[in-house]
Order: sequence, then C-alpha cells, then structure tokens
Amino acid sequence: RLMCNAETVPSFTGQGFGWPSSFNATWIFGCCRSMKSLRLLSVAPSDRGSQRCRLGPGLMSALGLSLGSPLLVSVPGGSCLCTAWPRPDLAEGFLQMDLKCSSPSLMISHPPTHLSLDPDQLTPVPCSKLKGVKITVVVQSVDFKKHTPPRIVHELVKDMLKGVHVHKNHVINLEDFDTEVKYVVIESINPESASTGFITSKTGVEIAGIQTVRHYRSRLQDQNTVSLGGLDEVSASLREMLQLPLLYPGTLSSLGVSCPRGVLLVGPPGVGKTLLVRRVVREVGASLVVVRGPEVVGSRPGESEETLRAVFERARSAAEEGPCVLFLDELDSLCPRRTGSSAPENRLVAQLLTLMDGMDQSDRFLIVGATNQPDRLDPALRRPGRFDREVIIGAPTLQQRKDILSVLCTRMPVCPSVDMAELAQKTTGYVGADLSALCREAAMHAIRENSKQAICMKHFQEALKLVGPSCLRSSLGRTELSSVSWEQIGGLDEVKLKLRQSIEWPMMYPEAFVRLGLSRPRGVLLYGPPGCAKTTLVRAAATSSHCAFLSVSGADLYSPYVGDSEKALAQLFRQARACAPCILFLDEIDSLIGSRSNGQTSNSVHTRLLSVLLNEMDGVGLKTLERRGTEKILQAEGVEENHTEEQEVCNNDVMVVAATNRPDCLDSALLRPGRLDHIIYVPPPDEQARLAILRVCTKSMPVGADVCLEELATKTKLYSGADLENLCKEAALLALQEENMEASVIKQTCFLESLKKMSPSLTAQQIHSFYTIPLR
Amino acid sequence: MEGESGDITVASGNRKCSAVTGSARKIKDNAADWHNLMLKWEKLNEDGFNIAANIVNIRLSQRNQQEPVDESSSPPSSYSPSSPPSDAAGGAAELRDECCKLQDIIDKMVVVVTKMERLMTSQQGIQDLEEFQFGPEGRKFPLFHTWNTNQFELSSGVLWEAFSQELKLKQTVLQELAHTSTSDLCMVYLSCWLHQPFIPNQTRLTLEALLLETGHRPL
Amino acid sequence: MSKPALSSLHQALRKSFKTLENNQTVWKSVLAECSPLMVSLGNLAEQSRALSNVQISNTPLRDFPDLEDRLRFKLLQATDTVLGKLNEKMSSLQSVRDAISNQVSAVVQLFEQNTDSLDVLAVTERSATTPSIADMLEWLQDAERHYRQQYLLFGFVLGWVCVMLGVYCFSSTGVFRFLRRKTLLQTLRPDNISLLESAPKRWKSLESPSAEDCITDTLCKVSFFMESQ
Repeated sequence: RLMCNAETVPSFTGQGFGWPSSFNATWIFGCCRSMKSLRLLSVAPSDRGSQRCRLGPGLMSALGLSLGSPLLVSVPGGSCLCTAWPRPDLAEGFLQMDLKCSSPSLMISHPPTHLSLDPDQLTPVPCSKLKGVKITVVVQSVDFKKHTPPRIVHELVKDMLKGVHVHKNHVINLEDFDTEVKYVVIESINPESASTGFITSKTGVEIAGIQTVRHYRSRLQDQNTVSLGGLDEVSASLREMLQLPLLYPGTLSSLGVSCPRGVLLVGPPGVGKTLLVRRVVREVGASLVVVRGPEVVGSRPGESEETLRAVFERARSAAEEGPCVLFLDELDSLCPRRTGSSAPENRLVAQLLTLMDGMDQSDRFLIVGATNQPDRLDPALRRPGRFDREVIIGAPTLQQRKDILSVLCTRMPVCPSVDMAELAQKTTGYVGADLSALCREAAMHAIRENSKQAICMKHFQEALKLVGPSCLRSSLGRTELSSVSWEQIGGLDEVKLKLRQSIEWPMMYPEAFVRLGLSRPRGVLLYGPPGCAKTTLVRAAATSSHCAFLSVSGADLYSPYVGDSEKALAQLFRQARACAPCILFLDEIDSLIGSRSNGQTSNSVHTRLLSVLLNEMDGVGLKTLERRGTEKILQAEGVEENHTEEQEVCNNDVMVVAATNRPDCLDSALLRPGRLDHIIYVPPPDEQARLAILRVCTKSMPVGADVCLEELATKTKLYSGADLENLCKEAALLALQEENMEASVIKQTCFLESLKKMSPSLTAQQIHSFYTIPLR
Repeated sequence: MEGESGDITVASGNRKCSAVTGSARKIKDNAADWHNLMLKWEKLNEDGFNIAANIVNIRLSQRNQQEPVDESSSPPSSYSPSSPPSDAAGGAAELRDECCKLQDIIDKMVVVVTKMERLMTSQQGIQDLEEFQFGPEGRKFPLFHTWNTNQFELSSGVLWEAFSQELKLKQTVLQELAHTSTSDLCMVYLSCWLHQPFIPNQTRLTLEALLLETGHRPL
Repeated sequence: MSKPALSSLHQALRKSFKTLENNQTVWKSVLAECSPLMVSLGNLAEQSRALSNVQISNTPLRDFPDLEDRLRFKLLQATDTVLGKLNEKMSSLQSVRDAISNQVSAVVQLFEQNTDSLDVLAVTERSATTPSIADMLEWLQDAERHYRQQYLLFGFVLGWVCVMLGVYCFSSTGVFRFLRRKTLLQTLRPDNISLLESAPKRWKSLESPSAEDCITDTLCKVSFFMESQ
C-alpha cells in the first residue's frame, strides 16, 4: 500500500517543485517508520473543535487520503471519526486527533496520550451528505432543559452540527461552542445503509430527547460497572425495592399502595454500603444524588437546613429526567438522636423529617440512607413513611469473603496457586474495604519485589500482617498476636491435644463436626497453677487456627462508672461476633467475675459482669444489627426458620476461653455444659515436661557441653514453666557476670548456682488443692 | 369677538393655520407651550439625574470610608481620627452643594409644573367660554380636524396630572436621597428619577396627538 | 496535477481572504456598537434587582401606591427596547457570518472538484511568499468556525436571556432572529435578573480584542499572497 519505495521517491522529486531537502528526508524517513507505528499526541489547542486529525502527508497519500477526507481512527476503548489533515510541520510518525466525534467511552476517559497506533487502525470511510439524523441532546443544566422551547434547541443544535462528519452511535462534542448544549449523541442516521455521514444545512435534525450532562454521564458509567462480590442477596432485595416504585410507579398506585420512600442501610463501616447503593442504582438505571452527612452541616444558623432543602430540590429536579435515588451517606452525623435542649441538630432533624414527609407520590425519587450506628439515629426517622425498610449488611461470611476476593483479584495478575478459599478462611472479620486493602498491599509487595511478577500467596501472607480487620481496630481486647507455635511450648502434650480438639478442630473443620452431629463447645476453661503456660497455650491455639484473637483481663474492663464494665464486656462480645470466628480469651477470669455464692452482695460489679457474661454466652445479647449471611430483611416472609439457625451459627463462631488459677472462686453457673463446657487442667510440669521446657528455653542459648538438662529437670521439682524460663535467664546473666561480658557459653555450674538462689513458685499443697477441687 | 372668530375658523376651514384666531389660536399656542414645557422638563430631568447620581456616589463612598474607620477605631490609632473628619467634612460640603443644585432643579420643575397648571386652567377657561357660546353640547364643528374643545381640556388634564404626580415623587426623592444608606434603595430612587414612572409613554403620545391636531405637526 | 487548477484555486483563496478582511472590519464595528447596549442591559438588570430587594412599603416612597408596578413596567420596557436594538445588531453579525461561510464553502467546493489533480504533495507545497493550499484552507476553515462559534455564542447569550425573560419567542428562520414579540411578562424572577446581570459580563469576555487575534494573524500570514499577482 505504501508508496515508499525507491522508484516513487525520485519521481516525486523529479517534478521540479523545489522541495526543501529537509522535508524530503523527513518524508521518506517518516513514511518508512509509519509502517511500524504512530505516536498519539494530544490535540493542538488551535485544532480543538475542528474535527481534524493531523497526520504526516506521506501517510495521507499512502492511505489515499485527500485534504479533509473522513477517517475513522480506532483506539483502545473506542473509535473517533476525524478529517485527515497534514501536520503543519509535515512530520511523519505522529497522530493528533480532535475528539469531536467519538465513541461515548472516549468521551468519559480520553485515550491516553503517547499511545502507539498502528497505521491499520486508520481507515478512510466514505461520508456522503445525510438526509437526516436522529439525535439526543445533552445539555448542562436542568434549567435550560426546562425553559428552552424545543424549537430553539433544535435551531441551536442544527447550527452547531453543520459541517460535522458523524458516525452512528458516536457522541459529538460541542463543548468548544461554550453554550449550554454540551454533547449530541447520534442515535441513527438517514440513509441507514451507511454508518457515517456528513451534516449539511439541508440535513434534517430530529431530536429524540434532551438530557442533562449529569444524567448522561451517570448512564454512561453504567457500562463499566465494578462488580460487587458477596452482596448478591442484599443487592437483589435492594434492587427490587428500588425497581418497583421507580420504574413501575403506575403499578403500585393502581394497587392503591403507596410507594416506599426510604430505605435504611445498616452495617459496620467498610462493608460496602455506599458501593452497593451506587451499583444497584446503576443497575436500575436511576440517577444518583449523593450527600454525605457532614457536607450538609454548615456553621451558620440555618445554613444546614438550607443546604438540605437544596439537596432535596436537586433530587427532585433530577427525578424529572427519570428515576432518581437520593443517597444520604453517614446519616447518623446528619440526623442524630434529638436531645432535650434546642441543639442545632434538632432543627436539622426536624427539617429532614419535614422534607421526607413533604415528598409526595409525584416525586419519583427514593431516599436511601446509610449508617453504621443505627442506634444514634433519631427514632422518628425509623418508621414507615420515612425510612420504610431497613436492610442490614453484616460483616461478610466465609463464602462472601471468597466472592469478594475473587472479584477483587480478577483484575490483578494473581498466581494460580493462590487459594481464595484459604485466604478467605484467614481473613475472618475482614470487611470488603479490608479485603481490598489487603489485595492492594499484596500487590504492593509483589511490585516491591519484582514489578513483573504475579502476586503469590506469600505476598498475601505479608499483607495479612499489615492489614487487620477494621472492626477490631481500637477494640478493647485487641492484642498484638505474636504467633506462637505449638512447638514453642515444651511438654503438656496431652493438654495440647485437648486444646486442639476443643479450639482448633471446631474452628478449622466445622463441617466434620456437623457431619458427626457433634455440637461445638462454647467455651473452654483452663485452670492450673500460675506460670504453667495457660496464656501461651491459648495463643498457640489461636495462631494455629487462624482466628481473630481478643484477650481481656480484669483490669481492662474495670471502670469507676456504674455500668461501664458491663457495657465494655457486651461490646467485646459484639466485636468478637463481628469478626467471628474468634477466640475471646478471658484471662484471670476469677478476678473478673466472682462467684455469687461466696457471700458478696448481689449488686457488686462482679455479679453484674457475671450475668452479662452468661447472657452473652447464651446468645441473648445478640442484636439484629449483627446478623449476617443469608437472611433477608426482617419483614420478608419465610425467613423466621432459617433466622434462628443463623443466629446459632453466629454465636458458635465465638469461642470463649477462660483461664484461672483459682477455679474454686468461679460461679458454678459458668461451668455448666453449654457455657464453659471443656475444663482442662494445665498441670505443673512433671520431670519429662520440665526437660522439654528447658530444651525450648535453651534453644537459643549457647549452652556448654557439660550442661545436663536432665539433671536440671530432676532438680526442679515444683518449678513452673515460668520459673524454668527464669532459671535459664538467671544462669545466662550469671555467666556474663562471672566472665565479664565475655562469656560465650553457659556452663552447668551457672545453672546450678542460680538454681540455688531460686525457689520454686509452686508448693505441693497448692498443687494438691487443684486435684481436690470439685469442679461441677 | 370670540364667537366671530370661532365662526370664522369653522367657516374658513382649518387647514390654513396661520390665519387662526380666538379659541383656536389660544389652543394652538397652548399646545406649543406644552411641547416646550415638556422639553424643558426633560432637560431638567436629565440634569437632575446626573446630580442625583453624584449624590448617591458621594453618599456610598462616604459610607464605604466610614465602615473601615469604624473597625480601625477600636484599636488605638493616632491618625485615623484626624484624617477621616476632614474627608467626611469635604464630602459633606460636596454633598450639600449637590443637594442645593438638585433643589434648584426641583424648584425649576415646580415652575414648569405651575406653568402647566396655568395652561390647564386656560384650557378650562376656553372650555367654559365655548359652553357659554354654544351651550352644553359645544360647537357643532371641530376647531381643527376632529377634536372638540372638551378633548383638549381632557388631554391637558391628563398631562398635568402626570407631571404633578411625578413632581411629588421627585420632591420625595430629593428629601430622602442624601439620607439613604442602603445602596438598593438609592438605586431605586435613581431609577425612579430616570424612568419617571408617573409619566407613562402615553403622555408623549398625548402631546403628539395634540400637536398633530393643532397643526404643529404635518399630517 | 495541473497548473490551471492551482491558479484558479489560488484566485478563489485570494477572494476569500479579501472577503474575510472586509467582513472582519464590519464585525468589529458591529460589536463595538453592541457594547454600550450590553452595558445598559446590565444596568437595567441591576435596577430590577434593587427594586426587588427593596420593600417599598417600608420606605418614604410608600405614599405612592402604584409606584412599584409602574417602575417595574418602565424598566421592562427599557429592557425590551435594548434587546430590540441588540437583535438588530445580531442580524448584522449574521450577515457577516453568512458571507464568510458562503465564501469558504465555495472555495472548499472548488478544491473538492480538483482533488484528483491535486495530490497531497501539491497541497502541502509552500514557499516563502505563498503558504500551502492546505494551510490556507485550514486558516479559512478556522476563521469560518471562529465566526460561526462567536455568532452562536453571542446569539446564545442574548437569546437565552430573552427566553428566560419570556420576552421573545423565536422565529424559525435564523437562530436568534427573534422577530415575533410576545407580551411582556410583568415580573422578573430573581434568577432571571441574575441572568441579565451576567449577560454583559459574558459578553465582555467574548468581545475581548484577543478573540479577533487569530483572524488578524491569518490575514498577516496571507498578506504577501494577497498582494501577489
């Protein structure tokens, strides 16, 4: 196709036009290079609105293009119709085009500059004069749409379109005219046989409709939606709720039913409420007016109310173009519970109530509110006629997390070895936002390592360390969980096994438990003398079962204010449930909760905490807000039966593990089956165990060859694990002391020396008492 | 004498304007006077508007000066109390001058309206005379083209009514203009002065009709 | 390629630039006449706004009961007059635009008839005194687009004001030739007043001298070409 060969070049130069020699060189060079690729540059300002496409003259003649010939340029994401024009500097190898007429997708996101194009992507197209076009006009403001007579718009648009080459289904950009008319969408052209054509003053222009830019853009963005994982059921119910009144208002009114006005979305932060609304609104094809609560609140008196009224007015005018949803994000900040005094918020709440009541059936818009603190909302809002329905979105379940992860990972180069199910299992308590942060972090790790590598499991592992579940942030019992493996605990094999059975297995293999009809234990009580690794054991269990781990002791919960401790404990359980499966570790439970039988007055803090604990363990304190999983909206039918089952499962995922060294002080009500049903005695280490503990403790120490751990083990009767660890430390310090910081090994004598100075923390009597306690 | 002249004008036809005498003469002169007085009014109105605009500008600039001074007077400042009074005094003097000028204009307008009133009474006199001569129905043939004498009286009444009302408005504006501090109200006063709401466009038409009827304007 | 085609095209181009030059002067003078009118339009809007802001019954003017209506009517009437005059100016601008448009489309048509004899090399050939045909066609088209755009914008600024005021409705001939008058609306809504107020500002930005710079530039670039022959 290209005429760039040895014969043609001299024949051109031979015509005697006196070409500047530099031009010739450029042309030949550029022509040859243009075979390979063209660089796409951004359009020159002077060409804006001209519909020109600047190419090198060589390429123009190669493509058989004359001055002003129509040319279709395909770029990734769409195409653009332009008229060919030589570059002013006549250079080859570059392409600049004005996006006067381009695919809608290019209208939203301009093609990237410095893109390389192949000459194949330029196709000359025939453009005959058109008899007529059918268009949709996109204007800036609703005002213009409302007040301008159609004839004026017609005249205006016709004048603007004169001399433009158009392509079917393309958008004509008229922004350069700087009037209210911004775009024109070519719906169809006459004659229909062609897909492109040229508009003259004789071309008939038919306006199919007028839209505002806002509306048009929101409709366009439908086409590239972000998929939403794990919220299918909620989004289906929300969609149904929106679709009915918005798209079929006639049906509802013929049934004599008033449309619902508002839907309240309730769920913890980051769960995807906002995204869900945006997505569903797009699917339904409605336009969306978003207001975040704090945006509305102004400092001047009356300002907030005014803004709120303006927002409703905006929604109303948007609703005139089609269905519309007014989305009030962070509703709790906008509409807090009214207090007795005449706070400014009260007026705002009253204004919102008035506006919602003022909406009548002719206002075809729906209000969706979202909050993560429904309790803080004014109760007057939560009644039919205002927010008719409430949709509760909980933290995602295992399956939902898997869905979310696979949605998030579709666009990332993820190594096939990454097991989504495993990842989902490890991300308990993570909400959608956390998971997306996790994926981003993993990708960052991969980039840091090697930019071309796919993301592997180890990157996710790294990311898991950095990104924690947001529902646990600033939680009371949140502890840095330095992972402890079972091997790091010496001895106690029997206890370890029991713990595995009661903690790890039900968490990791719940389906096996269901298969064998085994009910899962609710709670585990570890008791035994102090310093015998009860806490460490629980940590190891949590580490191996990949559960969230919350740990509290008495001091965390105590507060000088009446009722605060109880509230904190209930809150702790709520958080534990939010990120279930979770291990809730109550250390020193005896200090936390006393017994009702040992003569304390009935209204002491201990007793009240005990009753809270009992309630929570029985699942009484469960709030509707925390529901999750398959259940639908409360009002929906046929939900009751699976509802109870849901709740059961929910609470089961929280495992309460308590530890005490004074089991005799515990209230017997706590110890009955169904509460702390597994009671495990963690005995003081016997000789064998002591040896194992010493081995673990001295693992990182340079121990002298003469050291006989067996001997030490026999000599340390009544020593607890903590004592033994201390012994090793003392011995090491002694070695340093004796040899003036130059010790390289710890000798047996050091161990024996320090053993002499120490005394065991356990007593035989104490140990005996544990055997004699009649538990249950 | 007047009766004769009336007969003459009727008999001799009214096309020859130069020959008119008596009532017709008087009416024709009155029409010319109306025209001149209205021209004079327009001139006065234009001058007055410029002065009024000056007053408003002085007034507003004074206020703009005062505002920052008010703010700066609370912190101790040495020179601010000294300089603004001189400015304000200068402004006040200027304001007084302009107000006096506007008063002059109004006085002249009062004279114009008084003259207009005189024209109207003279028109009434002619009407009374006609009634005396020809009875309540008036004369059988019109003095000029088509109007009977009553119509002349009516139109001068309408004109006088409009101008005297407008004069009242202008007097009010004069009294208030220099004391008004809100710029919106100043603007309203000015636009009242400029657009003369009580002199509708019909006044101009009425005058033209009068001139046309009396032969000042060629048909 | 043929010599005669080239020279006839050059002739047509020369004629077009001549038209452009003449019409630019007309355009500028018409615009200059529009400016004071636009200023009056803005003043009238300001007066209307002041009248709306003032509660006459709370001012010394309360003794004149029908004053507000009368003044409002007068203001509208004055606005109407100014708009009418602007309308006349618009038709002058339109004729300038049409003259240029017609001339340019004639040249383009002539070029299209000769495309076969003029290849890309021929149309991009330029010398020190004669710009290439591609360049000149480009400048002409740009000029035509410029005037079309400017006219449309002026018309738009004015036309929308009129539509919003409900003062005029539009004829179907010519975009902003509002020939048939509708009855004056007795009230101006506040948003209409602000529209009126903004119109002169927009106008001011439109008729800035720099807007015509591109045309002047073009005429400079072709001055040698126009003088030749």
